[in-house]
Amino acid sequence: MPIVAGIDIGNSTTEVALARVEGREVTFIGSALHPTTGIKGTAQNARGVVLALGKALEAAGWSREDFRRVDLVRLNEAAPVIGDVAMETVTETIITESTMIGHNPTTPGGVGIGLGETVLIDDLASAPEDRALVAVIPADWDYERASEELRKILGRGGKVKAAICQSDDGVLIANRLPSPVPIVDEVRAIDRVPLGMPCCVEVAPPGRVVETLANPYDVATLFGLSPEETRQIVPVTRALVGNRSAVVIRTPLGEVKERSIPAGELYVEGPAGRRTLNVEEGAGAIMALVAESEPLRDIFGQPGTNVGGMMERVRRTMSNLTGIPIGDVHIRDLLAVDTLVPQKVVGGLADEFSQESGVALAVMVETRELPMKHLAEAVRTETGIAVEIGGVEAEMAINGALTTPGTKPPLAIIDLGAGSTDASLMRENGTVELIHLAGAGNMVNTIITSELGFDDPELAESIKRYPLCKVESVFHIRQEDGTVRFFDRPLEPHLFGRVALIHEGDLLQPIPLRTTMERVRQVRRKAKGEVFVTNAVRALERVAPAKNVRLLDHVVLVGGSALDFEIPTMITDALSRYGVVSGRGNIRGVEGPRNAVATGLVLTWGREGT
Amino acid sequence: MNEELIRKVIAEVMAEVMAGEKRAAPRTELSAPAAAVKITELEKATKGVNPKEVVLAITPGFGVHFQGTIIDVPHGEVIRQIMAGVEEEGLTCRVIRVYHTADVAFMSHYAARLSGSGIGIGVLCRGTAIIHQRDLAPLNNLELFPQSPLLDAEVFRAIGRNAAKYAKGEQPIPVATRNDPMARPRFQGLAALLHNKEMRYLDRKRPPMEVKVEFTR
Repeated sequence: MPIVAGIDIGNSTTEVALARVEGREVTFIGSALHPTTGIKGTAQNARGVVLALGKALEAAGWSREDFRRVDLVRLNEAAPVIGDVAMETVTETIITESTMIGHNPTTPGGVGIGLGETVLIDDLASAPEDRALVAVIPADWDYERASEELRKILGRGGKVKAAICQSDDGVLIANRLPSPVPIVDEVRAIDRVPLGMPCCVEVAPPGRVVETLANPYDVATLFGLSPEETRQIVPVTRALVGNRSAVVIRTPLGEVKERSIPAGELYVEGPAGRRTLNVEEGAGAIMALVAESEPLRDIFGQPGTNVGGMMERVRRTMSNLTGIPIGDVHIRDLLAVDTLVPQKVVGGLADEFSQESGVALAVMVETRELPMKHLAEAVRTETGIAVEIGGVEAEMAINGALTTPGTKPPLAIIDLGAGSTDASLMRENGTVELIHLAGAGNMVNTIITSELGFDDPELAESIKRYPLCKVESVFHIRQEDGTVRFFDRPLEPHLFGRVALIHEGDLLQPIPLRTTMERVRQVRRKAKGEVFVTNAVRALERVAPAKNVRLLDHVVLVGGSALDFEIPTMITDALSRYGVVSGRGNIRGVEGPRNAVATGLVLTWGREGT
Repeated sequence: MNEELIRKVIAEVMAEVMAGEKRAAPRTELSAPAAAVKITELEKATKGVNPKEVVLAITPGFGVHFQGTIIDVPHGEVIRQIMAGVEEEGLTCRVIRVYHTADVAFMSHYAARLSGSGIGIGVLCRGTAIIHQRDLAPLNNLELFPQSPLLDAEVFRAIGRNAAKYAKGEQPIPVATRNDPMARPRFQGLAALLHNKEMRYLDRKRPPMEVKVEFTR
């Protein structure tokens, strides 16, 4: 009664299925998983394989070191696929001369619109009385003194219509005036505010956003702009959309530019030859070109640009890994997603941020073969078990997936991994179609990081994996679906008032960002949708009969990302529009979406063995 | 170690500290002409119901037997900045004087329990401060500012602002406080003396009193 171990080395985990095989009888006696050591397909994986196998032996009731029990190890022919992800910023806002203050202090003072000429508070007393003024208050003016000065000027009939303030004093000053004027505060570079210029300050009521300064025609009305000048002001108004307070100053030479950064060109080689596209044109155009150029032969980036650098980096990594000359490494797929990247406005006066558009790119490289033989040899010497390299990964995965109760061929599976999204289809006659696509879990992380504007890969992974909540008091949280949960014991003080992630066992992890739960949720779901749902449909279109997804009956989701709490339902929802039954797989009825390939490896040996 | 020896050591340390002090005194920049403060005691402090309030607790000696913190930030300025920080966020600040303890953790927790929003602040004469929440254990807290020699007017403003933000249920970024490894050796002796002096004015039988704070020039 031989005992066979099927071992699947994935981008992030190594999975083992251990079974006793007797003729057609296959009894599974243990399974295990362990993080993959090193890059998939290299000899470094041996360590992880041995550890995972040890765990499986333990699960079967033997000792961890008892490798003699196993008669044969079957490794998968790891798909020689590697992915890389990069962000490209496409636009940038530059203020060449300060004309606007578009930042969003949390507590501006007063409400309404004030129009006047900018004047330093020190010179307020000597300013002409009949002219409308906007006071500019540097931080060395304490709020008591500043409000006293403003009261004095207003008392003798001076027309102070608004104020711009350096420290966080907006509400304090407004509270001390007989009739409050709009005040924008926390303008850090107040010394760069041009003086003696027409200026408009707008503060919206709480919960509202500026309307006048966000509308180019209103700004034109206020400042008497010509149609030409109104056109120039558009980037300013656009940058102010969504703010609660804003300042626009009209300077004679001032200019706000929205500059496009040369992101580089992509050269896509397909059956119809080489086609060129600028990355600036956005994800939609890129994906259309990629779809038109099926099957891709290769993709290059313009040398000397960010895109060019990214493509070369992927090639070099792959070449180093496999020993294949760099010229023989070909990029076979690319996924582009439009993103918004918060970027500091160049030349801004108050650390303004503007949402610039960018493109996230994931690419996938396919080479002829990974050095699996070295790996097999390494595993054999470490364990003393005979090792053989099993069939194609996709075939194994389908065979494993078919152990999910309620499935039968023809069956399509989508393997949602960390580095790539793979799809395969088994027809009724047993033939298998296979496709690897770029873009999976790692790309979701990249999009989350850039859209929320932080730089911590572990936090991105957590945001992707766990649902959100807002800690509303020491004893209760509001979860992202709106429900409230109470705790018997007080929560940690550092969680108080924060947006947090709910880990397993109700452990809460605060998110150290100034953002709302709704925004994080929206970014997370958008990223998952644009990567996984897009790729699921794209992948099925490629393997489906006559490229028609409607002709598929069953689609089983497997792989690490299929464990996610919302990705499978998002995909199921999207595929239901094509009339396809899809859902998360449950390998052997017990393993969930994991262990499909490992199980398939054991099962196919059983068949070959008869 | 007898008491005499300790006194002697403290005196020596103090002499050294004071000498060093003259050279590089970390004086705080005051943006306003130092406001004189008038603190008038009113009735017994009660539990508030206004969810828009933050309660600030001060010790018996605050602004009476002491006029400034360990680095001479005037007490009037401390209160004014904390109140300004709270007001800027759109809330109000009620001030109470506690007589039963000079432990800043228990003071601030007491303030939090009287506060309509559940958020309280406690400040000692030497400047040590805590932001507290009523449901937390007294020795747990939202934000602790233990190094009094590093707390200047700006930090007190930020303490008021953050307390108000907690009361509003927002997510304030904890106040950035500096850390000076020399603060402890330089000021520990002085801090101990100030604490002893502060303790002298305690009256365990007297209930916390509501006070009215007025600033004059």
